Order: sequence, then C-alpha cells, then structure tokens
Amino acid sequence: MKIKKPAFNLKKNAHLNYVLFGAVLCLVPLLIELGLLRNSYLTLVGSVIIYSVAAIGLNLLLGWSGLISLGTAGFMGLAAYISAYVTVNLKLPFEVAVLLALSIPLAVGILVGLVSLKIEGLYLAIATLSVSEILRKSFEEFGDITNGFSGKTAGYPKLLGFFQLDKYGTYLLLVVVLVGVMILIHNMINGQMGRALNAMRGSEAAAQAMGVHLLKYRLVAFALATSLAALSGILYIHFIKYTYPPTWTLGMSLNILSAIIIGGVRNIYGTILGVFVVFAVPDLFLKQIPYFGAMPGFAYIINGILIIVVIMYYPYGLIYLGNDMKKLWGKVKAKVKP
Amino acid sequence: MSNLDLQEGSVLRLEELSISFGGLKAVDNLSFEIKEKEIFGLIGPNGAGKTTAFNCITQFYRPNHGKIYFRDKHGKVTNLIDHPVHEIIKLGLVRTFQNVELIRELSILDNVLIGAHIDFKSSLLAQALKTKKAKDEETALRNEAIEVLTFLGIADRMLLPAGGQPYGILKKVELARTLMCHPKLIILDEPAAGLNDIETVNLAKVIRTIRDKYGCAVLLVEHDMRLVMDVCDKICAINFGKFLAVGSPKEIQRNKDVQAAYLGETEADQ
Repeated sequence: MKIKKPAFNLKKNAHLNYVLFGAVLCLVPLLIELGLLRNSYLTLVGSVIIYSVAAIGLNLLLGWSGLISLGTAGFMGLAAYISAYVTVNLKLPFEVAVLLALSIPLAVGILVGLVSLKIEGLYLAIATLSVSEILRKSFEEFGDITNGFSGKTAGYPKLLGFFQLDKYGTYLLLVVVLVGVMILIHNMINGQMGRALNAMRGSEAAAQAMGVHLLKYRLVAFALATSLAALSGILYIHFIKYTYPPTWTLGMSLNILSAIIIGGVRNIYGTILGVFVVFAVPDLFLKQIPYFGAMPGFAYIINGILIIVVIMYYPYGLIYLGNDMKKLWGKVKAKVKP
Repeated sequence: MSNLDLQEGSVLRLEELSISFGGLKAVDNLSFEIKEKEIFGLIGPNGAGKTTAFNCITQFYRPNHGKIYFRDKHGKVTNLIDHPVHEIIKLGLVRTFQNVELIRELSILDNVLIGAHIDFKSSLLAQALKTKKAKDEETALRNEAIEVLTFLGIADRMLLPAGGQPYGILKKVELARTLMCHPKLIILDEPAAGLNDIETVNLAKVIRTIRDKYGCAVLLVEHDMRLVMDVCDKICAINFGKFLAVGSPKEIQRNKDVQAAYLGETEADQ
C-alpha cells in the first residue's frame, strides 16, 4: 500500500492555498481604492498580518514544542527600535537594518533557549517575561537611541537602495512576508522537524529514545520564535512608522498568546484567525455596539469571555468551528432531502 | 575500544553494573550477556531493579559503576556509557516504554516516523524549502513506515490519531516505531502489561517474527510469566538489584533461589 500523490486539488494543496490567501489579502488596497472599504482598514488588516507573523512564531514554541514564552513583545520591540535606529540615525540601507534587527534578537532568543533546558513551565514563563521587561525598560531608559517616551519614527522601506515603497507597497510586502512565513513553517512542521517538536512536547523520554536531541530542538524552537517576533517588529516599525515603549508591554505578549488559544493551537490559519479576533474585531465590530462600544475596556472583557468559552468548547481553537459547521450543514441537508 | 571486550556473536554485555539512589542500591553488580538474535528475558519481583537496569543500558540513568559493551550496527564494540541518551538509537539499540509513550495528537503513521528521526539527512533549511531531496527522503521513509505497519497488521489505522486507540494497538505502534531504525537490539519494557490473553499470545508470535525478519536480539522485562517462558531463549533473574540466576526457561523455573525470591522462603528451607 502506497500513499497516492494527491491530484491537483485546491483543498489539498496547502501551498497554493496559502498563496491564494495572500492574493485575497492583496484585494484590500483595491477595495479601498474602489471606495468599498474605509481607508483605516488598511492599517487594521496590516496590523493583523504583522501580529500574525509573531503569533505563528509563538505557536511554534507553545503549540508544537510545548515551551512557554511571555517575552514576544520585548523581542518585537527590540527589532522595531533597531530597524528604526539603523535606517533613520545611521542612514544604512533597509536590508542592513533587517539583518541587524533579526540577528540581535535571535542571539538573545538562543540564550533564552539555552536557559530553557534548565527551567520549565511557569518558571520559564517568568524568565521570558523578565527578559521582555528588561528590554521594555531599556527602551525607556536609553533615550539617545530610542527617544524614550517621545517614541521613535521610521519611514516606509526602501528596497535595494532605490525602490521606495509607499503605503500600499509596504502592505503588499507584509502580505508576501506572511505567505512566505506560512509556507516555510508549514513545511517545517509537517516534516521531521515538526515530528521532533511534537515528540518533545508529548514525551521527552520517547523523543530522546528516538534520537531527538532536546537541546538542539529547544534552541531551534526559540530561535525561530524570536526571529519571527523580530520580523514582526521590523514590519511594524516600517508600516506603522512609529513606536514607543508602552506598546511592548506584557499586555502585547498576552494578546498574542490569547490569539493562539482563541484561534487555534498548532494551526497556522487558526493563529491568523485568533489574531484577527483579538486585534481587529474590537475595532471592526465591538466599537459599533451602542453604549458598550464606548467603553475602553470592552474588548478586554469580550476577549476574556471568549478565551473561557473557547477553552471549554474548542480546546484546539475556533478554527475547528468550521468543521462543526460543515457537519451541521450536512445534517441539515440530509434532513431536507431525505 | 577493542573488540575483545565482547565475544564474537554477542550483542550486549553488562559488566558489574551498579547504580544507587541515595542509600538504595537499585542495581548491584549486575552482569549478563546477550547473544545476537537471542530473545532474552529479565525477570524479578516488583522493585527488583529491572526497569532501572533498562534505563542504565539506554543511558536514561547514568550508572555509578560498571560497563555496558554493545556491538553496534557496523560491528564495532562500544561502551554505551560513553554516549549521550539521544545517540543510543544511532548505534542500533532502541526501546519501548512501560506506559506507552506516544504522541496523542499525531497520526499513527507520524508516530512511527518519529522512529525514523535519525534517518533524515536533509537539513532544517532543506526541509523548510521542501527541496526535492527532502521530499524524496520523506516519501521513502513514509513508505517504509507503511511497510512496517502492514507487517504488524495495523496499516488500516495509520492515518488515525494515536490518542484514543485501544491499548493493544498502541503497544504495536510503539513496536513499529522501534523497527524504523533497523535495530540490532530492541529493549521491551513490559510489552504484555495491559494486554488480554489473546493479545499476549499474539505478542509472543510478533516478537519471534520480528526477531526472524529483522535479525535483531530482543531484551524484555516482563511480569507475565507465560509470555517470558514461552518466548525467551534465555532468562536472567534478579532480586533487590542483585543477580540470582541465568539459564533456559526450564532451568530458571527449577532454580531454588528464583523460587524463593518469587514465593518467599518456607521455614523448611531455612
């Protein structure tokens, strides 16, 4: 018995699926130009894309590897400030900024990975939170580089030194990066590496007996998660064009964490759905609700309720709601046409 | 390491192995030798130190004293104590667990493929980019895993998640996982625990066919005496971490020390 090569099938071909998803996201600027969507939606959807990149990284750590981190925001902020400083103050090309803004957080991430072999669970969460808080405090204190509480600005990226992107161009760059990340991570988690991470989470003893080098894969998981957080920070600073310390608090890390739990642990589309629910739904829908919408903390309350409901009924995330809907639809159809 | 430490035709030899936890000597000066393609049983009452001996051999525990010689896939003799735990499988020594250790969320097929972890040669980058080499490697190993599952008669379930499968199936999945690395020696930790009578009889058959088909030796720790007496070529009995006797199943059954350890000494014996 051999597994047959799947025929050309949109539902089965994951890569094509991701590319099409990207193409749909590219429609947003078009719809705005046609006047069908409000201008502000570009920033909104752009933010969802940016946070999704970091969230996919955290999902790799939390979902697949079973390692917890509360430090996402710190790494995002670190990359954002580095990229802003390198392009604005040092006037170096965008590519150099990306390289530096990726490699410095990566080095810190690998250090945390080394520590993770000694401490686990809640202790690891506290350790990563400390790293993140140290970084946030540094953003406040090193005013010469970060401008302290006044915040730091940066421009849209200039690719290869001559290709200046505008708002729409930067948005398209975000989409390309997200689709690239989705495809690369999809390949990784569906192969040997994904199985090794799963084994590490499911049973460390079995993983070791099967030859999985725990230290290596913990480092890989932390390295990938921090790189993606850093990438997310780079996209943030060059799309939002402004950063100041209060953005990168524990609240941001927790929002990304809750996005994964709400949307889908160990699921790429689920992660994006979760980010959409946590970061976009408040602005899109909740604020339109009369009376409640005016309350600043209303979104927090809804998020809290959502997390509880999802954990109770959809422990693997809202993305599995679709499956149940299909089943329900099948039942309804069967009843209508006996 | 010279090949003289292990006789020709032997695959594993424990030499004066000892490990203690605090004041407790869990394994005390234990020595035995396993021939190639031999089914070897390690028995003893509860708390005799069987599983601890296992964990020492597979380097989950570091013994305080003693040597563990092993003839690897390439015929080279090496002392297992010189290797970290994740390298043991590369030598051709693989184990199962007393309480099945599988990944619930993964399919049975993927669980078996974890056993092929060391066979993947393509780098993480090649995997991320899904190069042709990485893809071919995955397909080849996937087909090999399906072959192993077919051999054990559970290929029809391979795409189902491991969580929620009956215990007998899970035990077979663990066996399949060990076979992916083409082992020289498989260590089974209580393979019959939790199985019913029919499944146990089947297991004896499976263990023998595995030995014949894969040409490997099997070391098993087991409480189920029928299985041990039925399937083993040779048995070593231990008690309180100390060696009691070694011999064929018949010899072990007749051995006075073994009887005393299992049934307790009667006053007449004293």
